[in-house]
Amino acid sequence: MTNIEQHDGTTRDDLVQRVALMEAMIAEGRQSTARYGWMFVLWGLTYFAAIGWTVYLPYTEWAWPVCIAACTVVFGIVRSRQPRVAGKIDNLRRHSLDAVWQVIGGGIVVYLLAVIVSGQAKEPGYLAAVLFFNGLANGVSARILRWWPQAVAAAIWWGCGTAMLFFTTRTEELALFVTATFCGMIVFGLYAMWLERGAAALELHHA
Amino acid sequence: MTNFEREDGVTRDDLVQRVALMEEMIAEGRRSTIRFGWIFVLWGLIDLAPIAWQLLVPHSDWVKNWSWPIAIACGVAIQFSGMAILRRKRGAVCSSNMRGRSISAVWAMMGLTAMLYFAGAMIAHKQWPVAFTAAMLMFVGMAHGTSAMILRWKAQGVVACVWWIGGVALFFLSNRYWLQIFVGEMCFGMIGFGLYAMWLERRNRSGIKGE
Repeated sequence: MTNIEQHDGTTRDDLVQRVALMEAMIAEGRQSTARYGWMFVLWGLTYFAAIGWTVYLPYTEWAWPVCIAACTVVFGIVRSRQPRVAGKIDNLRRHSLDAVWQVIGGGIVVYLLAVIVSGQAKEPGYLAAVLFFNGLANGVSARILRWWPQAVAAAIWWGCGTAMLFFTTRTEELALFVTATFCGMIVFGLYAMWLERGAAALELHHA
Repeated sequence: MTNFEREDGVTRDDLVQRVALMEEMIAEGRRSTIRFGWIFVLWGLIDLAPIAWQLLVPHSDWVKNWSWPIAIACGVAIQFSGMAILRRKRGAVCSSNMRGRSISAVWAMMGLTAMLYFAGAMIAHKQWPVAFTAAMLMFVGMAHGTSAMILRWKAQGVVACVWWIGGVALFFLSNRYWLQIFVGEMCFGMIGFGLYAMWLERRNRSGIKGE
């Protein structure tokens, strides 16, 4: 009963090995998302800085470009200094997740630049769209990793985005944006960092 | 020279096998996107239908309010029926490999996000400011872009760029052009790409039969 040959020549052992490989890849994907928890925190703080600038400082049209550029520089410096974990992060799931975050992140930047350069930052609805873009990235990532905490983060982004379509005063928009950024990005990032710390401690213990 | 043992125990043959497996998975992922070419054509037509309906009956509030929900409900029903028929004919329709599942995750979540955004905006009566239409084009562009990057497929990358260019152009052109941009995107980025995918599938099938 342990090694039945099937119609297509696939044995039970083959299937068990494949399932084990897939589970290992899912776990690696989650671990690498947890390893990049600091990025969520960094981008959350960048969103806060940009929104704070638009509310309290002059030259508001420069808030998003300057904050995104500063964040990208910090991001590049930190990432270039991080040791690359050979063999572990180069799985297919990792490649898919990289594609999701790079394309959607790039799309958000292009969208925000178009809003600002065209002088339509006062147009209603663009902040709601940014929340939905973030929900999309988290939702795809959660589905690929089958990871419910990230699905919760996606639901928070979508929920706040939907609410923003109904609560449209400047104060309400800002409150919803700050709530989504705090819960969906900073808290999720801190949770991922906490998971990574736990995994690192476990590895050290086993070593 | 063919089988160097490395420090981590990975041999050259192992690496060759892994590369071959990854290439096969990429090809399988592309094949599964190609197999769903009809869905792109369907949604292109579904999105054009309410616009045509509103142009044909310009003064009806009922058509203005209900053409989009009706069209989308029809699109969902046709898509599910088509998938059910395919499942009955060919068995599993979705690719079971990891790349195929990633692609299906991208499109499923894009559909969900666009639906939530669209439904929210419809109920709140905020569906036609520039930012809203541009965001819808960006959603589709993001899904195409992610899919293109996962499958390393230039043709789909070009389609993603076209969607994004349309989204950005909406902010810079006058409101009068939104209809032309929207219809252009649907014809080229949705129906055109779907027909191209269907043509590729047909070619692949005739190639397999020829062999």
